[in-house]
Amino acid sequence: MTSGSTAFNLDDRRTSASMSLRHSQSGRPSTPQHHLRSNNSSFASTSSASSSLRGEEDAIIFEFGSRWLRAGFEGDSTPTCVVGCGPEDSRRAGDYRGWLKGSPNADTSPVQPLKAEEWTGAYELWKMNVRDVDLGLVEDKIERMFRETYNKYLLTDAGTTRLVLVLPPIMPHPLLSSVLSMLFSRWRFPSITLLPAPTMAVAAAGLRSALVVDLGWAETTVTGICEYREIVAKRSTRAMKSLLQETGRFLTRLSSNGGGEVDDISVNFEFCEEVVSRFLWCKPRADDRGILALSQPTEYHKGDGEPADQDITTFLHKSVSIPSPLNPSSNYLEIPFSKLAEPVEKVLFAEDVAECDLDDEEKPIALLVYNTLLQLPPDIRGVCMSRVVFVGGGANIPGIRQRVLAEVAFLVDQHGWSPVRGKVIAQQRQKLQNLSLNERPTSANSEKENMPPSSENPTVQDDQESRESEEEEIDPVEEKLRRSRDKDTKPPVQGILREVESLGPWAGASLVASLKIRSLVEIERERYLQHGLAGASRDLDPHGYVPDRRSGLRSGGDRSSWTLAGWG
Amino acid sequence: MSRPFPYAYISCPCADTPVPDPARKRRSRETSHKTNPEDSNLPVAQDYDFEDERTFDPRSPRSNFSLYPPEQLLYCEDCHQIKCPRCITEEIVCWYCPNCLFETPSSMVRSEGNRCARNCFNCPICTAPLAVTTLENVTGGGSQQGPWVLSCGYCMWTTLDIGIKFEKPTNIRTQLSKMTDSSRGRQMSKTFGDLKSPLSTYSSIDDQFPPNENKGDESNLPTDQSSGPLNPEARFQALKGFYKNQIAATSSSPTDPLADFGAGFSSPGALNRIMSLYTSSSRLGNLYGGANKKPKSRPPVMREALVASEGLRVPAPDAENALIRRMASDDCGWDGMASIEQRTFQSPDARFVEDLLPLPVLLRTKRSKRCKSCKHILVKPEFKPQSTRFRIRLIALSYIPLPTLKPLIPSSFAGLPPSSVAPAVTGAAAVPNLDALSPLKTVQLLLTLKNHMFDAVRVTLATPSVTPGRVASKVTILCPQFDIGANSDVWDEALQGSTAPGDQRASRSGTLGSTEKVAEAGKVWDKGRNWTTVVLEVVPGTLPGGATKRHRVKQQDNRDDDDSDDDDEDEDSNADVNANTLDWSGQTKDHSQQLQPDEDVLEIPVFVRMEWDSENQIDQEQSVGKGQNSEQNTVKRELAYWMVLGVGRISPEVSL
Repeated sequence: MTSGSTAFNLDDRRTSASMSLRHSQSGRPSTPQHHLRSNNSSFASTSSASSSLRGEEDAIIFEFGSRWLRAGFEGDSTPTCVVGCGPEDSRRAGDYRGWLKGSPNADTSPVQPLKAEEWTGAYELWKMNVRDVDLGLVEDKIERMFRETYNKYLLTDAGTTRLVLVLPPIMPHPLLSSVLSMLFSRWRFPSITLLPAPTMAVAAAGLRSALVVDLGWAETTVTGICEYREIVAKRSTRAMKSLLQETGRFLTRLSSNGGGEVDDISVNFEFCEEVVSRFLWCKPRADDRGILALSQPTEYHKGDGEPADQDITTFLHKSVSIPSPLNPSSNYLEIPFSKLAEPVEKVLFAEDVAECDLDDEEKPIALLVYNTLLQLPPDIRGVCMSRVVFVGGGANIPGIRQRVLAEVAFLVDQHGWSPVRGKVIAQQRQKLQNLSLNERPTSANSEKENMPPSSENPTVQDDQESRESEEEEIDPVEEKLRRSRDKDTKPPVQGILREVESLGPWAGASLVASLKIRSLVEIERERYLQHGLAGASRDLDPHGYVPDRRSGLRSGGDRSSWTLAGWG
Repeated sequence: MSRPFPYAYISCPCADTPVPDPARKRRSRETSHKTNPEDSNLPVAQDYDFEDERTFDPRSPRSNFSLYPPEQLLYCEDCHQIKCPRCITEEIVCWYCPNCLFETPSSMVRSEGNRCARNCFNCPICTAPLAVTTLENVTGGGSQQGPWVLSCGYCMWTTLDIGIKFEKPTNIRTQLSKMTDSSRGRQMSKTFGDLKSPLSTYSSIDDQFPPNENKGDESNLPTDQSSGPLNPEARFQALKGFYKNQIAATSSSPTDPLADFGAGFSSPGALNRIMSLYTSSSRLGNLYGGANKKPKSRPPVMREALVASEGLRVPAPDAENALIRRMASDDCGWDGMASIEQRTFQSPDARFVEDLLPLPVLLRTKRSKRCKSCKHILVKPEFKPQSTRFRIRLIALSYIPLPTLKPLIPSSFAGLPPSSVAPAVTGAAAVPNLDALSPLKTVQLLLTLKNHMFDAVRVTLATPSVTPGRVASKVTILCPQFDIGANSDVWDEALQGSTAPGDQRASRSGTLGSTEKVAEAGKVWDKGRNWTTVVLEVVPGTLPGGATKRHRVKQQDNRDDDDSDDDDEDEDSNADVNANTLDWSGQTKDHSQQLQPDEDVLEIPVFVRMEWDSENQIDQEQSVGKGQNSEQNTVKRELAYWMVLGVGRISPEVSL
């Protein structure tokens, strides 16, 4: 069966399921054979009944980041387009300098050395520090990006359908306000829905609770989410921007051949980004024999027929050739493959800096993940640690996920789940461990989070075992709960470190929108134009901005007020 | 520097009207003020509150978004205002493939993913169009048979590189999507095969069903994983199915079946539940009679996806290592990895060049454009994709004078072609080389405004005497107020020309005839039927460090006499440190001293205000043919806008 026909099948089912009264539309001649991998759109989504008043047409979903804008239709699995905003995109109309790039008469003058901030600054849509952001300029950029996205890629009339924005959960109000004002005044969007990115990433992973590690542009955020509610969020400035700057310095050093530190970057930003996306990688944990040994046997029979002694360490002596930073179009430069892992080590994992020297906002990623987990309540921690979701640009660096997990496992191994550090504590803990060695089995069951995750097996949590251990004292409530739970669900995996892959926030929003689930933040055009952001009611819904079904069916139909929920 | 010098840009007046939110108007003004600290020393930059009096700064980053070449602007006849792409709304007239020019009906556009559904493909490597070619040599048989491939004529990429052949030369896209789905998303068919028929699954009344289904899935689990992970598309569909399943299961099982019944009636969204009563007759009895036997004590809770067929994906532990290994291997290299640009429209998993698939050509649209404020149609193209004509097209150039700029070639060189003169002559009176204007040397330019309206226009030009920004150039318009004649019949000019042949020749070839002519203040340089030329006098400023103009000039005088080697000492001994610390090679540490990109471009903001008497549109019908009458029916109109004239690039060296 092809994807087309199955998708059609599904759509068919959906129409009947949601019982559209305009059922006749689903019988429209459809062309399943035209379905494409990139866009498996559903016909039925246009005809399915929805709770919203204007559910006639598919909502359009935009995901904003500091660097990229993703746009597409609800119900699609991938955005129709991803648009960046570089200096070429903010040129005047009719300025075609960007197109001269490859041609011989392009200006071949070497890139002027720039400070790292300026070097990346030209490529950002906005900074979260709005103090020195020209909001008018941001509006101009967004307006142009939207217009071109609609005209080039979405190919629908702008402003006719509902708009869904996927935004970072924390947005400066001036920025949010100017984005919304611009969109409402420029086009006639009937309403704009806001969805928080981490929660959407969780939805796109098929989960309800997870720890979302977003290796974004300006900062890395680690968000603990339980039942679609944000519990804890921690952030660090060790993210893609600083990684790119570091790579830029690295390439500048390479090209100048001189040793020593360089502050200014004189390589092309695009070239540097290309290097980062193609060749940067991340070493596995250094003294982590376990992971290596673990991955070793599986690699063989996965079978690219490689010799048995081939492992990660042999890569270190390999060299790859990348275009020379100064003249990317002609020369190639041989550099050791291991060198390409260095920026990642240095920036994201703060290899050469002692932990005590680090500021609060620049913790390495692994520590950030550990701290976030530590801050979560134990039950949520258990659920979240086995649902680590990596999103963001940095998640594409090969090796980074397993490295982070290995480091976190190491930290847990070393410190347990306790924020207390120190020599005395370590001694005491040692003593306690010695004491408790003989009564290990029971303690393992009572506090499962305390176990080193590597030694634990997902099946440890099996009901049989827990039932055995609790045979002695029978709690009727527990029993009842268990009976009812056993009936329909498997016990959720918890207590081990595990990664779950997500399709990304955009796809999550697309899922949520196509299921016609309403977000808590749905801003009606008229209401916004009356008072702007100030019109949002202050009293937050106690349930948070959970885009789940229950909040979707908001009680009482109170449409007179709207809130900004988490953004408020 | 966007186009060859000299050029002219027009700033759409919509840039002056901020986004109408009373709360934030003030704020944005303040921030925009703050970000341009270097402008703040300008006298005009302070009174931001009087927007009309603010000098337009072509260098501010925002002005890039409001400046347009004159030919890209539209004009709304109802609002009497210039309209740029920002102040119009667009409606799509038709969708077509730019490659095959076939029109795609609007109902099909989305389902085809906004891309051509025929044989139009772009190369995933170099984006050149791909051609369908046969693998078999034509020499063998008469008719072309056998497998077909898509091949790129530019970079020689073929679909064979990724192991794809087509059976027929038609409907390539269908074949391709079948192939990619079966090879990559083999999973999907199976996954959906596992699901039950629509009514029984989604509209099941009790929550017993989903668990059963789960068990079925669980049994499939090992096979699922052995056959590889789902591709993103299949996974998305699986997730969607899973969520829908869960929503249906959790929403249709309240504690009391009767309440459910009521809920079913109250909300049309739950109609499916009513429908399911009739579809499963066995459960019907359960609902009415037997429901009390087994009261459901609690609503089922939505759960998360547990197996791969529900969309969960736990990556294999060695997946990343395999990636790294592949990256480091010798046969991959730099060119084996897909670039960011190549990956833009590919599946998010595509990382290597082998993962790239040919891309169907993105459709294009013909759009009609309306004025945003009055909804008046400004542009309406013909519907057929092949036609390039327009039914309505109100371009701004037929309403506003077309500005053109050219250097006034001094009389002594007027006869020579400029190209031969410019590089060779170093004297003061050379034809100015616009790509390297020497600072502090007066350049005279001819600004011609050509009127396309059938009414005579009075134009007033205004310009700040010193251009904004760090490079302060002095600008003088020698004749800021003048008239432009109406765009009458072309023959009028010929007839006028016959009466005054001398004038005619002079105006036609301005350079040749003007040997004795000297630019005078207050006088129009030249004038024709519907155009007028005035002279602009520009003294290009020195590049940053312009405060020391006089010193530099003096030094230059010295330099002409001395050896160039001595210059350094001269400058060092010079009292003015500022000029000496300037380092044009770009190695200065002080970034504020460095030249920003395009800062050396000499751009002159000119405020244009035009007035004319136009016929009253409403009375036009009556007054047709009555020339005398039109005087009473005229309406005074005026239009004002900023224009930016790009003169040239100022060279860093002062050459005298």
